[in-house]
Order: sequence, then C-alpha cells, then structure tokens
Amino acid sequence: MLKILIPTLMLIPTTWLTPKSWVWTTTTAQSLAIALLSLTWLKWTSETGWSTSGPYMATDPLSTPLLVLTCWLLPLMILASQNHISPEPINRQRSYITLLILLQTFLIMAFGATEIIMFYIMFEATLIPTLIIITRWGNQTERLNAGTYFLFYTLAGSLPLLVALLMTQKDMGTLSMLIIQHTKPTNLLSWGDKIWWVGCLLAFLVKMPLYGVHLWLPKAHVEAPIAGSMVLAAVLLKLGGYGMMRITIMLDPLTKELAYPFIILALWGIIMTGSICLRQTDLKSLIAYSSVSHMGLVAGGILIQTPWGFTGAIILMIAHGLVSSALFCLANTNYERTHSRTLLLTRGLQMILPLMATWWFIANLANLALPPLPNLMGELAIITSLFSWSPWTIVSTGLGTLITAGYSLYMFLMTQRGPTPLHTISLHPSHTREHLLMAMHLIPVLLLVLKPELMWGVCH
Amino acid sequence: WFLAWMGLEINTMAIIPLMAQQHHPRATEATTKYFLTQATAAAMILFASTMNAWTMGDWNINQISHPLATTTVTLALALKIGLAPMHFWLPEVLQGLNLTTGLVLSTWQKLAPFALILQISQNTNPALLTTLGVMSALVGGWGGLNQTQLRKLLAYSSIAHLGWMIIILQFMPALTLLNLTIYITMTSTMFLSLKIMASTKINSLALAWPKTPTLTTLIMLSLLSLGGLPPLTGFMPKWLILQELAKQDLPITATIMAMSALLSLFFYLR
Repeated sequence: MLKILIPTLMLIPTTWLTPKSWVWTTTTAQSLAIALLSLTWLKWTSETGWSTSGPYMATDPLSTPLLVLTCWLLPLMILASQNHISPEPINRQRSYITLLILLQTFLIMAFGATEIIMFYIMFEATLIPTLIIITRWGNQTERLNAGTYFLFYTLAGSLPLLVALLMTQKDMGTLSMLIIQHTKPTNLLSWGDKIWWVGCLLAFLVKMPLYGVHLWLPKAHVEAPIAGSMVLAAVLLKLGGYGMMRITIMLDPLTKELAYPFIILALWGIIMTGSICLRQTDLKSLIAYSSVSHMGLVAGGILIQTPWGFTGAIILMIAHGLVSSALFCLANTNYERTHSRTLLLTRGLQMILPLMATWWFIANLANLALPPLPNLMGELAIITSLFSWSPWTIVSTGLGTLITAGYSLYMFLMTQRGPTPLHTISLHPSHTREHLLMAMHLIPVLLLVLKPELMWGVCH
Repeated sequence: WFLAWMGLEINTMAIIPLMAQQHHPRATEATTKYFLTQATAAAMILFASTMNAWTMGDWNINQISHPLATTTVTLALALKIGLAPMHFWLPEVLQGLNLTTGLVLSTWQKLAPFALILQISQNTNPALLTTLGVMSALVGGWGGLNQTQLRKLLAYSSIAHLGWMIIILQFMPALTLLNLTIYITMTSTMFLSLKIMASTKINSLALAWPKTPTLTTLIMLSLLSLGGLPPLTGFMPKWLILQELAKQDLPITATIMAMSALLSLFFYLR
C-alpha cells in the first residue's frame, strides 16, 4: 500500500519543483506509472481475502478494483484539465494539480482502510479538495451554491454515521473490517436500533446518490471543471457504494424489512432520472442524471444483499466509472470548443469530427449496456438478483433499461447526426490529447470484457 | 474561593482599560457592558461561595457541595465565559473591540474561569451542564447564520465551541482542556490573520484573494478546521467528544451536537 501512497504524495513536490513547461508532462507520466504499479494489486493470493496489509490499510477483492480505477483516473484527470487550465498563472495550475493529488491520496486511503473510522475520516476528507475544485475552478456563478449543496448534503448524512460508528465501537470493541466480518450477528430489536441502522446507511445513500437525496449531484457535476466531474462521477459516487457494501455486513438481520423504502426509492429513481434525461437540454446535466440512474441500480443491488447483487454492483460501479468519465470528457471537448453545454448548439458533429464520433458511439453504447460490455454484465446480474428477490422489480428495471437505451441514443444522435449548423464549421479539430484520453478510458472497458474476474470481487 | 474571586476581579479590572483604549463610543459601550456582566458574575461567585461556607463550613474550591451553591457558581462562571443562555453580551462586546483586544477576550479570558470550572466539575449537576452545552452549540450555530460582521461571527463561533467544551466536562475533563487548547490556537490564528488583512466584514474578506493568496488559503483552512472538518485538527476534539458521549450511551445528545456543528459550518463557509 505504501508503494502507491508515497509516490502519490511525492507527486506534490514534483508539481512544485519542475520547471514551468514540464509540469504537465511529468505529472501525467508519474501518475501513469503509479497507475500501472497499482495494477499489481489485482493479484489476490491470500486466503483470508485480505492481502497487502499494513497496520491500518489492506486490499481485498472488493476494494482493489475501485483502487485501480482511482489510480487509473488520475493521469486521465490531469490530461483532461490541461487545456482549460493553461491560461492561468503557473502557481494556480500547480495548486490545481496539488488538489487533485491530495484528493487521490485521500481516496486511496479511503478504499484501502481497514478501520471503519479511518474510512469515515477519509470519506469526509475527500470533500474538501472536491469542494475547493468546484468552487474555485468551476465555470458558472452557480458554483458557490453547488458547492454548498454538495458539502451540506453529504455532511448532514455523514454526521449521524459518525455517531453510529462510535456506538458500534462501544458495543463491539473494534471497528476493524477484518474482525467485524466474523462477529456474531447482533440482536437489533428496538426503535433505537432502527435509527442506528438508518444512521449507518444514510451517509452512503446520500453519496451514491439515492433518488430522493440526489439534488446535489446535477448541480455539482454541471458546475465542476472537467477533472472535478470526472472524479466525482467515477470515484466519489463509488465511495458511497463501497461504504454501503462494507457496512451492510454488520447490519443484518434488520436489513430485510428496513431496506424496503430505500430499494423502492432506488428503483423508482432509475425510471424518473432516466425520463429526466430524455428531456434535458444541458449535456452535462444529462450525463449527471444518467449517473444517478445507474447508481440507483447499484443501490438496489447492494440493498438486497445477495451475492449476485453485490457482484453486479461492483461490476456496474467500475464500468460506470470508466464510461461516465469518458462521457464527461466528451462533453468537455464540446464545451471547450463552443463554451456552451446546450445540446442544440453542438449538433451534427460527425461531419466535422469523425474520429471523435467513434468515441461518442462507443461510449454511448457502453452507457446503454450493450453486450458484451461490463456495463451489461453488471446490470444483468443486478436485474436477475432483484427479480429473484421479487418478480415485480422487473417492471422498473426493465423500463429503466429501455429508458437508458433511449436517452443514450438520444445523446448520440443529437450530438453526432443531423444537419451541421453553420456556426460549428469553424471548430478546432480534435487534439491527439483528447483522443488519447478517450482511448485510455474506453480500452479498459473493452479489455474487461475479456477478463471480468478482476472485477467480480468476493463472491466468486 | 475568596482568592479565586479576587483573582477574577483583578483580571476584569486589568482588561477594562485595555478595552477602552480606543476612544470610539462603541468601544466604551462594549467596555461598560463587559464590566457589568463580569462584575455580576464575580458577585454571584462570591455569594455562592459564601453560601457554601455558611452551610457546609468549607472554603475549599473543589469541596463545594451544596446543590444551590454549585448551580449558582456554574451559572456565574457560564456568564463569565459566555455560555448560552448567558451569552447575550458576547457578540456586542466583541464587536466593539479592535481585533487584538478581541483576541485577548476570546482566548486568555476564558482560561481563568475554565480553571475554576474544571475544579468544580465533579459536583455539578449533570443535567445543567448538558443543557448549557447543547444550548450553546445550537445558539452559537443559529446566531451566527445572519452575521456579516466578522467579530460577531467569531463571537458566535466561540459560544458554540464553549458549548462543546462544557458538554464533555462531566465525563472526561481532559477532553475539555484539549478542546480549549485547540480552540485557542485556531481562534488566535483567525484573529491574527484578520488583523493582518485589516478586515472586519465578510465583504472585505472577499477582496483578499489578490492581495495575499497564501494568507487567504490559511484563513480558509483554519475556518474549515474551526468548523470541524476532517482531516484537519479541528475534527479531533469533536470526534473524541462524540466518542465519549457515545460511550456513555448518549447518542441523542451526540447527534444534536453534531448537527449543530453543521450550522456553524455554514457560516464559516461564507
């Protein structure tokens, strides 16, 4: 674990000491090297399931895919931000990169934590760099509001979590994940215990986000700069899912009945947010709502607590992370050229930017869960396990899949096909950097088709 | 107790001229208010200790055991440091002072009453302390929400932090001291940075970015720390206090305190 953490921390001196023209190159290269190093975590040899352990940090098949995703995304974030940050003075550019690196460090420590309190502290700690990125480098004036929404929604959910965790520590004597998975199930009967259960889960449900408490997400995504959007969509949402998976180990047997309202909210949210996507005019907002929709599926999969549900949840999280991030990068390429996110203004791009149209095509197909891509694997696993839990869920999940296909195709057709408006003819051609970015997003998705065991986690 | 009372009186007397240095009418008004409140509190302390001596025959500070006496002393000390519901003097007094004197008021002046509070902590009524603490945290949070003047903002933040300190007093006084120390450090940072930037309103802070970016970053970080966000140090006392409260099976109190921290955070963020 330290092999990855220390190079990541050392990226901070790298950004501040390299001469001005080499900053971006060196940070991208170093973070890419770290990402490749992180791939070594994918070899699970230990019997207990936890490997590479230190005193407070370890990796196991649940956290490793997410860790690799996080490490992989840092070079991509730096690549993506290169263009829109370059007009700023060099020290501001360096602080931006430093913030990204700090965020990365906190995320690695969060996913690698074995004590739940350490996970909690890192979970909260990731809020600060993200908040600063959104409010300082965002694009519109609404970003202050967005930052406030983001911070307060998340904190209001997570402070009860802190109290609930402290009570757990008092009762069980420890909060280490390695130990908790072997303790006896607790007897949870009273109203106080039910409130404790809600306290444990609420933070993660807000982070995921669940449909009823998802208001912070579209605001935050739309106002954030590209790297902020990427990391938000790809990784921070997965923190919520990961936390939920860890916590539900302790929460049985109460979860069987208490989870009903949340599962219903999640399933309903899939349909509602999907329908909102069909009528969106703002491209980033569309992708943000599609994130909520996919995360609703993930939440449903986790809350029913079956092995296939968990597996589907992890696969969908990884695949969605990569694909959502790719879509945000594509939206950003449009934004950098026209400085507008309105769908109508960036139509008919296939005539002008054909190679970018290929990336749009692949990303949208992945979003709508085309076989054999991992998005489909995840969705299928979750839908099947939800069906076996209750046959009626097929109504909402099936409808949700249909609507997802609808809006993904809508996004593709609006941006690529159709008559090219006259004002877009003078757009810049695509940079190689952008093609590299998209390739690095989508090639792992395609590769994961060949070896999905890497993502399946603990249940196989 | 007699010596303690004398010490507190001398403390008050000494700081009055410091506060009245600026010949602005608001400063004089603040000085007068401060003098009145502190004198009342000191008189109440004298009264309570005399009552205790009369009924129990004991002048020793940590032997104060008559219930009426302990309650009176606790309330008097709360008035001295500005805990709710005896906090009303603090925002106006702090507003009338310049930033350095305000710094002294918020930090040094709290030390003496806290020394006394720590010593009487075993015998006080737990319900009273909990009520004072929770009310202070909530009042500190809500009161600060509509403020644009920085000194009043810091006054309300002081009230909220004092609430946190008091609530853990009955279970682990060491945590009270820890919270006090960290609070003094953070508030000193805030006051000194504001003094360097010579700004007293939120609007003037907004213009600070081009002048001193490093200092602005520092202010931002220390504000977030005052708000109690991990992983900054300000989180540590809150975390430990919540842990102690949870250990004592007081989850509701803990949740109320935690939510009121959110209120304070909102006005720090602006």
